[in-house]
Amino acid sequence: MKLSTLIGCSVLIAALAGGNCAPHHGEEEEQGHGEHLLEQLKHSGHDSLRYAFSRFDQVDSAKLVRISGVAASTEAFLVPARLGEMKMFPCSNCHRQPLETLQQGSATSGKKSHWDIELAHAPATTMQCATCHTPDDMNLLHSLTGSPIEFNHSYQLCGQCHATQFKDWQGGAHGKQVGGWAPPRVSQTCTGCHNPHKPAFEKRLPSRLNTEMLKVK
Amino acid sequence: MLFDLLFKKTKPTEAELSAEGGHGCGSGSCGCKKPQAATTAEPDGYEAKFAKRMDRRAAFRQMTAGLLAGAGMVQSSCSVTAGDEKREEGQLKWDEYFKKNYRLMTDGEKSKTVERLERLYEINTGKTINVGTDGAVENVLYGYAFNISKCQGYMDCVNACVKENNQDRDSEMQYIRIHEMKNGQLNFEGADDSYFHEVPAEGHFYVGTQCYHCENPPCVKVCPVGATWKEDDGIVVVDYDWCIGCRYCMAACPYDGRRFNWSTPTVPEEEVNHTQHYLGNRLRSKGVMEKCTFCIQRSRSGKNPACVEACPTGARTFGNLLDPNSEIRWVLANKKVFRMKEDLGTEPKFWYYMD
Repeated sequence: MKLSTLIGCSVLIAALAGGNCAPHHGEEEEQGHGEHLLEQLKHSGHDSLRYAFSRFDQVDSAKLVRISGVAASTEAFLVPARLGEMKMFPCSNCHRQPLETLQQGSATSGKKSHWDIELAHAPATTMQCATCHTPDDMNLLHSLTGSPIEFNHSYQLCGQCHATQFKDWQGGAHGKQVGGWAPPRVSQTCTGCHNPHKPAFEKRLPSRLNTEMLKVK
Repeated sequence: MLFDLLFKKTKPTEAELSAEGGHGCGSGSCGCKKPQAATTAEPDGYEAKFAKRMDRRAAFRQMTAGLLAGAGMVQSSCSVTAGDEKREEGQLKWDEYFKKNYRLMTDGEKSKTVERLERLYEINTGKTINVGTDGAVENVLYGYAFNISKCQGYMDCVNACVKENNQDRDSEMQYIRIHEMKNGQLNFEGADDSYFHEVPAEGHFYVGTQCYHCENPPCVKVCPVGATWKEDDGIVVVDYDWCIGCRYCMAACPYDGRRFNWSTPTVPEEEVNHTQHYLGNRLRSKGVMEKCTFCIQRSRSGKNPACVEACPTGARTFGNLLDPNSEIRWVLANKKVFRMKEDLGTEPKFWYYMD
C-alpha cells in the first residue's frame, strides 16, 4: 500500500517536472542560454550514435539560438543569433517618436536614415515595410496576424509565405549547414544567406575559370 | 612504373590486410585483431623490408631494387661533402622509399612515416606541416547530396577545393567540375564545361560532379597494386606513395572522378594548406593519381568538406548516412533524388535532387 502510493507520487512528480520544462522552452529562451540547450541537444535523438570526437565544445553557444515555432516532428537544431550581430540594435534608440514624425523630419532635413535599403522582395500590393516590421515597436517583427516575432526567430516570419522552403529548411534540404556535419546541428537562418529586403541571388561572373576552358585554348 | 610494379609495389593480400594493423574496424574496440599502441622498437622503412627471412631469389630481387632506386639517395646520404641536412634528407628519402602500403602499416609505422614527411618538408621549406593519420570514425558512412535547383554556377566550391587540397596550380587541377546544362536536358555531352559569363545563365542549370565515393568502386577493383581502397567510413582514398601511376582507375571510373599528375605538382609555399592528412591533401608527386577525398582531413573531425562550406547557395549537403536524424538522410527520404549511371551498380554515395 505504502509502496504503491510512493510510486504513484514519484510518477506524478516526474510528469509535472517534465511538463514544466519542455514545451515553453522556445519562448522563454534568450541568448546566453546556449550551454543549456547544447546539453539538451546532446541527449536528444543522437544517443544511438557516439563519435570519437565532439563538436559540442567547438560551437560558440552564446551566439546560437534554438529554433522554435516549427513543426513538432522537426528535430531541434540551432541557428546563429541575429540579436548581437545588429550594430544599431535596439532600434528604439532612434525610433522613440512615432514613425510619421521621423519621416517628416527627414523630409525637411533631406537626411534619410535607411537610404541604403531597397525593397525588392514582393510587389508593393503584397508587401511593404510594415508587413514585417512593427511601427509601434521597432525592436520586434510581427507575423501576418500581428503576433510579435523576435529578430532571432525571423525564419518564422519567412515561413508564412515560403512554406515549401520552410519545410525543406527544417529537414535540411534548403539552407546551409554551419560548421560541420556532426551534431549539434547548426543551420544558417534565412537572413544568413538572403537579404530580406532583396532576397534573390544576383547574377555575377563565376569566381574562376573551368579547367576545361584552358585546355581548349 | 614497371620497375615499381616488379620490384616493390604489390597488391596486399587479404591475409596481409587482416593480419596487419592499418585497416580494420578503425577503433580497436570491437574486438577485432588490431595491434594496439605504437611499438616504437619495431623496424620500419628499409629495415622492415630487409630484416625478415626471405628466400635467395626474393633477396636478390629486393637488393637489385634497392640498389637501383637508392643509388642516388645513398649518394647524398653517405656523401662526406653534403651538409648535415642534405644527409638527413637522403636518409629520410631512403626510408620513405621502403615503407609499406599504408594499409599494412602499424600505428607506429604510420607515425614514423608522418614524422619523416613533416621533417622533409621542414628541411625543404623551413615551414612545418601537420600530417594526420586519423582513421575512420566509428558509426559513420559519409554521403553527399547536391541540389541542382540551387547551384548557380558561381564556382566558389572549386576555388575552396583547390586551396584546401593543395592541388597543382600549373595544370589547374580541379576535383570538381561544374557543368552548365540547358533546362530540361540533363546531358553531359551537350553541357558546357567551359563557360565564363555571368551566371546563372538564362534557361540553364548547373550540375557539379566529383568523386562519388561509390560503395562498389570500379576504380578500386582495377588497381593492380592495391594503392586505392574504400575506407570503413566509405571514403575512397589513394596511397600516393604506393600508386604506380598506371591510370587504370582513371579509365575504370565512369564519372571522370580521378585526376592524374602529369607533371610535378606545384603549390606556392604561402598557399600550401599545412593541415594535412596522409590519405588526403598532403603534397603529391609526379605520376600519381589523386581525387576528392570528401576532405578527409576535415570530415573526420566533424567538419564539412571545403566545397560544402564555400557554397553560397546551400546546394551542397554532407553528412552521416547512418544517422537517421542527419540532414542528408532527410533529403534522401523526402526529396526526389537520383544518382548518375545507376544501372552500372556502382552505388555512388552522391545523390542529386531538386526542389
